[in-house]
Amino acid sequence: MMLFRIECKKIFRSAAFIVYCAISLLFFLTNYYSDCADVEYSSGGSVAVEDHDRIMDGALNSLMGDYASNRYICYPYGFYKSVHLKEKKRDKVKEYLKEITGADDKGFEEILSKGEVYYEGYSTEKMYSYHDIPVKEGFEYERFCEIMADVDDMLGGGSIYDPENLMYSFSLVPMPEEDIKAEQDAFIKEDKITGGLARLFCDYVGIDLGILPVFAAAWLTAADRKRRMHELVYTRDISSVKLVFARYAALLFTMFIPVAAEMLIALIQALVVYRGESMDMLAFFKLPMIWLIPILMFSTAVGVLLTEVFSSPVAILVQVVIWFRSVVMTDFPLSGETGKFTLVCRHNTAFGREIFLAGMDDFIFSRIFWTIVSLAMMLLAAAVYSAKRGGSFNGIRLFGKDSIFRRKA
Amino acid sequence: MENRIVIKNMDKYYGRKQALFGIDLTIEQGMYGLLGRNGAGKTTLMKVIAALHKKKRGEVTVCGVPVEEASKIRSMIGYLPQDFSMYPNMRTDEALDYLGALSGIPSKERRKRVNELLRTVNLIEHRHKKVKQLSGGMKRRLGIAQALIHDPKVLIVDEPTAGLDPEERIRFRNLLCETAEERIVILSTHIVGDIESTCENIAVMDEGRILWKGTVGELLENARGHVYTANIEKQYMAQIKKEYIVTGMIAQAEYTTVTIVSDAEPDLPNAVLTEPDLEGAYMYCLRSNGCDLKGGEL
Amino acid sequence: MVSGCLARIAYSDVRHNFLPHYLAAVGVLLITPVIFGLSELTAQMAAQPLEIMPLLMGIILLTPILAPEQNECILETVRSKKMSRHIVNAMRIACALVLLSVLIFALGWYMRCNDSEVTVKMCLGALAGAFAIGSLGFFCAAVTDNIIVGYMVSLMYLIMNFFLRRELGKFFLMSMTYGIKGCKPVLAVSGAVLIAAAMIYRRAVKNER
Repeated sequence: MMLFRIECKKIFRSAAFIVYCAISLLFFLTNYYSDCADVEYSSGGSVAVEDHDRIMDGALNSLMGDYASNRYICYPYGFYKSVHLKEKKRDKVKEYLKEITGADDKGFEEILSKGEVYYEGYSTEKMYSYHDIPVKEGFEYERFCEIMADVDDMLGGGSIYDPENLMYSFSLVPMPEEDIKAEQDAFIKEDKITGGLARLFCDYVGIDLGILPVFAAAWLTAADRKRRMHELVYTRDISSVKLVFARYAALLFTMFIPVAAEMLIALIQALVVYRGESMDMLAFFKLPMIWLIPILMFSTAVGVLLTEVFSSPVAILVQVVIWFRSVVMTDFPLSGETGKFTLVCRHNTAFGREIFLAGMDDFIFSRIFWTIVSLAMMLLAAAVYSAKRGGSFNGIRLFGKDSIFRRKA
Repeated sequence: MENRIVIKNMDKYYGRKQALFGIDLTIEQGMYGLLGRNGAGKTTLMKVIAALHKKKRGEVTVCGVPVEEASKIRSMIGYLPQDFSMYPNMRTDEALDYLGALSGIPSKERRKRVNELLRTVNLIEHRHKKVKQLSGGMKRRLGIAQALIHDPKVLIVDEPTAGLDPEERIRFRNLLCETAEERIVILSTHIVGDIESTCENIAVMDEGRILWKGTVGELLENARGHVYTANIEKQYMAQIKKEYIVTGMIAQAEYTTVTIVSDAEPDLPNAVLTEPDLEGAYMYCLRSNGCDLKGGEL
Repeated sequence: MVSGCLARIAYSDVRHNFLPHYLAAVGVLLITPVIFGLSELTAQMAAQPLEIMPLLMGIILLTPILAPEQNECILETVRSKKMSRHIVNAMRIACALVLLSVLIFALGWYMRCNDSEVTVKMCLGALAGAFAIGSLGFFCAAVTDNIIVGYMVSLMYLIMNFFLRRELGKFFLMSMTYGIKGCKPVLAVSGAVLIAAAMIYRRAVKNER
């Protein structure tokens, strides 16, 4: 306990922690706080419906256009990428299109000639778009999905033809009145407002917790070496597990402080914005704990473990990649974005209680999964620390050279 | 241009904390020793002379140039910090060449100097080794080579022998003495033996003040009549340490021969007045200036 | 004489102190075609890869300018030399900027060869953004004496750009992608101001000359 207190004090006095708090607060204020400054009872947006005819029509026409222009739009890493297919694959797409439209070679050429020509920007390249090409009567949706999956595969993934996203790409409709009403009811009565806001809160705060803690963790882990204290600490009789976990606990505790402050600010804001409504006063403290702590635990563990192993800031690079995959490379729906192994869960709306609850099992699974992974990583970090203490391991040097933390010469 | 360092009534602060108090010192050509306990202010004084720290008050001139003219001072001074360190991935000769370039030496001359110095400090065989592969003693020698790379008029070395084995230490001292023939060398240390075998003139510092300055002979002379030896039975050792400043102990089978520094003759049955060594003289100097020596600890 | 010494210092610095960073920046260039499509893009579409990837390069190249002297013992030794630290740092920044420019123009040229609408002005705009965010990292590292803080602030500023966009006003790093005019000169000037401020701070507070 004393060690924990000393470590906390050390963190409080570090520039990395102060900057961490400042960035965390700034991020919170510019995102969540400014988003929730006005009263809103419903998203009032569009909703994806599983209308197979609608999906098949939309996807077919879009694919026709892409085929004719030989330009397919993909977002494999969350960024725009246009893909051109080579002859062989192009022919395969053509065969698929023929299968879906039920046309023969001649018929297909005829359909193809119906395209409208347009130009993008100042480009002189002809682009084609199609609107009313019909799907063959009685075409099976399952088969359609198989074809789309193969097309998506040929394009390298991340295209609008990914069967999992077809609904969001081609079957969005304005939200019907009764759905808006239901959403409002769920928000006011079941979520008691703060429950919904807490989800949005977690969505935003999860984004910065997925990356920020790794810096502070890397800093603290490297600090002994930088101050050339490591040998002094190595020779003390405290067990490696105790030391590593005391530091880990101190990091988690200190780095949760700004989050706790943000929870409080969010609650006060909700009380002011939605005054007069009945609210769940504890909502901001319940869900965020379950949602956010595993994220904090994992990104901190990455920082500690990799800095211990490599004695270099490579942890930052690794966490940036993990964060990028988990935040930027998410698929279309930003609500209810929870898989069994999702680290940073996304739900970029105060509404959509049902979608969120539908994914609850996966959500809980993912939280437990990442907690266990983090603890396992810390046990490994303790083992590495212990090996370094005993001199049987000296850290892996990147580029066969000392990193910035090791300039001890 | 005069060949000496003159410090007049100099104060130095770290924030609000005063680190040096009214330092007055004139350092002539040859080896000059700064002796003092850890935290006495030796390093701070040296850094002010090397234009690495700013003084608050007073005057410091190095060979006639005030320390405020940092660039001029740096071309005149070679500095070896207490914990010398260099980019670990550079080869030894490259590191020296790099530091020579930082000193503004043209490349032809630099190449010559690097080889010369590596030979002088006995590192020529290790010139292709990376800095991180050098032993502690080798690194110190590289340190002195880098301090001499631009043939400075003044060489400042801070605790140069700390952590060296006896053989390395002797070699290092000799090296310093050789270099002192044509320049001012300031050596700071808390190891009395270093000063004894190298310096003629010394200053003793404590808590940011100069307690004493003069020659080694004068320091010994001061202590004459105040250093005693006595044979003490082991069970009384703890008490002796409490009452007197013990500067030396040799354990025999039944008793311990102790060297004691004391103003008056100690009240011990077999105490004999003895010729002071520099260690004893230094301790006497600290004591006679009212330093708290905590049971004879250095 | 001085130029000869500077060349020597630059060579050693690049080889021993910054090679991994330089390689990492080249690595960022090489993975660009994997993440983004680079061919047949309109000016606005081409601006996306041309703006985002150089920002990472800027962080990688400019933030660690002071990293070799994170060890105070080394700093003490090199500070005692005649050559001003500011000149050495300025030279390191210049080297980083040269590499940054080469990488950005290489990316732009590659895109142009692949029928994307890329102009010299766009490349200069990308350079301005990369310079600004790298300078931010350099400034924070210089003030806190902590390279990690430099990386943290610059990376977080980059992330904020994805979320706040236009709200960042003239300090928006991806203005070309969104067709906003007038940001790049402000960014270039801010970068220069941050570097000057860092150097002034090191001179005034850390007595670095």
